[in-house]
Amino acid sequence: MAEAAGAMEQQEAQAAAGPPGVLRERYLIRSNQPLPDLSTPNAEAFVAEDKRDPKRALFALICRPDLPVRVNVMRAIKGMQSGGLMQMVEWGPMNWPPIGRQCMTVIYERPVGKRLMTNMRSECRRIDEYAMTPKVVEPLVAAIRELTSRGITHRSIRTTNLFFMDEAGERIALGDCVSSPPGFDQPLLFETIESGMANNVARGSGTYSDDLYSLGVTLVFLLLGRNPVAHMDDDTILRMKMQQGSYNVLVGDERLPLAFVELLRGLLCDDAEQRWDVEGLDLWLSGRRLSPLQPRHEKRAARGFPFNGKEYFHCRELAAAMARNWDAAIPPVLEGKLELWLRRAVEDKERAQAVAEMVRVVLNGGGERRIATDQLLCKVLMLLDPAAPIRYKGFNAMPDGVGTALAAVMAQKSDTRLVVEVILREVPRLWFEARKFYSPDNSLMEGNFRELKNYMTQTGLGFGLERCLYEMNDALPCQSPLIGEEYITELKELLPALNATAGKQGVSKQWPVDRHIAAFMGARARSDIDRNLTQLSDPDQGKAFMALLNLFAVFQYRLGPEQLTALAAWIGALAAPAVAAYHSRDKRKELEKELAKLVRRGSVVEIYNLLENPGERDKDENDFAWAQAQYQAADDEVKRIQGNEEDRDKEATRIGKQTAAVTGILIALITTTIVVILKVW
Amino acid sequence: MAKKPSAVALAQAQAAAKAKKGGGGGGGMNKAVVLMVLAALVPFSLPTVTLLFFTMLPTLAAWASEKGTNKYAWLCVGGLNFAGVIKYLFDLWFGVHTLDEAFNLLSEANVLLWAYGASGIGWLMYLSMPPMVASWLAFTTDRRVAALKAAQKRLVEEWGDEVTKKNAA
Repeated sequence: MAEAAGAMEQQEAQAAAGPPGVLRERYLIRSNQPLPDLSTPNAEAFVAEDKRDPKRALFALICRPDLPVRVNVMRAIKGMQSGGLMQMVEWGPMNWPPIGRQCMTVIYERPVGKRLMTNMRSECRRIDEYAMTPKVVEPLVAAIRELTSRGITHRSIRTTNLFFMDEAGERIALGDCVSSPPGFDQPLLFETIESGMANNVARGSGTYSDDLYSLGVTLVFLLLGRNPVAHMDDDTILRMKMQQGSYNVLVGDERLPLAFVELLRGLLCDDAEQRWDVEGLDLWLSGRRLSPLQPRHEKRAARGFPFNGKEYFHCRELAAAMARNWDAAIPPVLEGKLELWLRRAVEDKERAQAVAEMVRVVLNGGGERRIATDQLLCKVLMLLDPAAPIRYKGFNAMPDGVGTALAAVMAQKSDTRLVVEVILREVPRLWFEARKFYSPDNSLMEGNFRELKNYMTQTGLGFGLERCLYEMNDALPCQSPLIGEEYITELKELLPALNATAGKQGVSKQWPVDRHIAAFMGARARSDIDRNLTQLSDPDQGKAFMALLNLFAVFQYRLGPEQLTALAAWIGALAAPAVAAYHSRDKRKELEKELAKLVRRGSVVEIYNLLENPGERDKDENDFAWAQAQYQAADDEVKRIQGNEEDRDKEATRIGKQTAAVTGILIALITTTIVVILKVW
Repeated sequence: MAKKPSAVALAQAQAAAKAKKGGGGGGGMNKAVVLMVLAALVPFSLPTVTLLFFTMLPTLAAWASEKGTNKYAWLCVGGLNFAGVIKYLFDLWFGVHTLDEAFNLLSEANVLLWAYGASGIGWLMYLSMPPMVASWLAFTTDRRVAALKAAQKRLVEEWGDEVTKKNAA
């Protein structure tokens, strides 16, 4: 009795909490068992169970649907075993019952211990210098090395994302790095100056050097057991970093073990070129000690530049202030005050000359003044601080972060105007031109942005902003409302999703493609399908339909599945314009009959082959042209006959008279002959 | 676009005009010759001429009365008129070929009745033939129009209303 009562209670509790989520038919995610200690700022944690191994301790992170996640990184680190990295067991989109839609879910090995630091103001367990290297530096460097070898970055290295993986607190590992865009959850303190200047959604994947900087900040926290700048806000931290350098801001007067001073100076170096790399860390770990890097500070101006009620003595600081106050920054540049300050106070004639030249071009140039001044300020800011991210009217982004920024803006249905302007006005090109050294990556990105501008200027289906979105985010799921909550990241999943949508009521009159689906196809297809996409916007509905059918047929042929009955029915219901492209009514009837058969087979490929038959089309066209000519000839003849009644009367009179004359002559001849015969005989 | 006449065509046209002119003169001379021959024959066949002159008067009237381009009445009326007279002409030729006999025949009501009656039938035929031909022509053209429209209808049924549009090509 008691057992039965217990079982009933358990069932009731489960029913009250709602059904669990199931990932890949193997992992159960208990929506009634949240794990707030393991949640990240943008992903909630829940208990996860492996059906095949129920004893395995796992937890799942449910990602926010409106934030782009790092699917490429998920692919790369799934199953990766590195002492310094929490093991990712599985990932994938999953229907999450509490919100009733598909969410990206990531399953990790569950740490036995706690998070090292719960928030930026709390204290953490101090790790002494002797334990630091084996417990923290070595495993984390190994993890970064492993990630680097796979061509990815972590971008979430911070003390609040470190966990004790065992009960004894001997093994420390980095937590999740995929549930939000790169660097999105990072406090500004853990980011380099440049990355910190960018909007957090647009920090970009960066390089391993960014991870090493974050590692340096993390080590400072762990050595001190607290946040050394907990009392400062982000603006102050950024300004201090620019003025004094990261090392000085973080370490300041704190006393750190000598061995770590060299390491931290190397990792926290603000010049990315000089910052230690993995090889430098390996040398340090192997015991080779180098002289610590000395920070190089920017030259201070002889007098400050008054801007927005403050005086600025450093170009970098001034550029940051101008970027924050865009409209107020344009007049002093145009009036030549900046040039004068650079020439006299900073004594940098080269930059002063460059600014003067840029201003002269804007003042003498044609075109829209507002655009020209925006571009001018953009270039001036790059000149003042070349290492800073792209800064344009408050949109601050690293070039590789523009894509995630656009994805986030579109997912949150915010204003995309700035991103559009950045792409259309080729702002990234200005940034790449301002680089002092050639980088193949930059060259590649510059080419990509050129292509994006080309897509942006085309307004048809498959192009525009949506195309840029999918081109810049190669793992972003298709955002089309047509496929609803389905999480489609690959082209092969698109047709089955549309097949599922086709089963729903009320869609049969809609086209199975919208701006998002067309752009998704364009960006994900391995071959160039832009010509077909352009035809989707053809005013001739028949041509547009055939272009769509061609795309779907190719995808079904190449990627499957073989049977898509509902989608075929959907397409069949929309095939009227393609059937109507044939002129012959008999042919149309024949096609409609055949189409019904193919719909039942669920083959889009066969439907395409049926409707797109060049030989039949040519024959139909020729026969139709012949029929038109016949009709016209008949029409002309009828008109001619009906229009010549007067002539016809004249003709009738003439023929009548002639006939009468001939008849008269014939009668005379016959009579004469008869009379002659009668007389002779 | 009208073609500019070539030198050869001009020369041909001039020759034709000359020939026409010359032909007109030639025609006049031929007529005179014919009239002279007929006049020469009159003394030898005066009874025939007399009979023909009086019996063929309707033909002469038909020839004289008809205006316009298609002057065929004299042929139709003349044919039937002659058919009515021929029997009596043969009677004259194979009987007594004298002027008296010719007048005797002319004084017989039968002769004139046949001659003028036949010419009257000729007139009737000549007047009734054009409306009959017009009716026939109307009948055939109506049939042709109906056939063409039926063909057009079949084309529309087979190809739809688009077939009625003019092919730009």
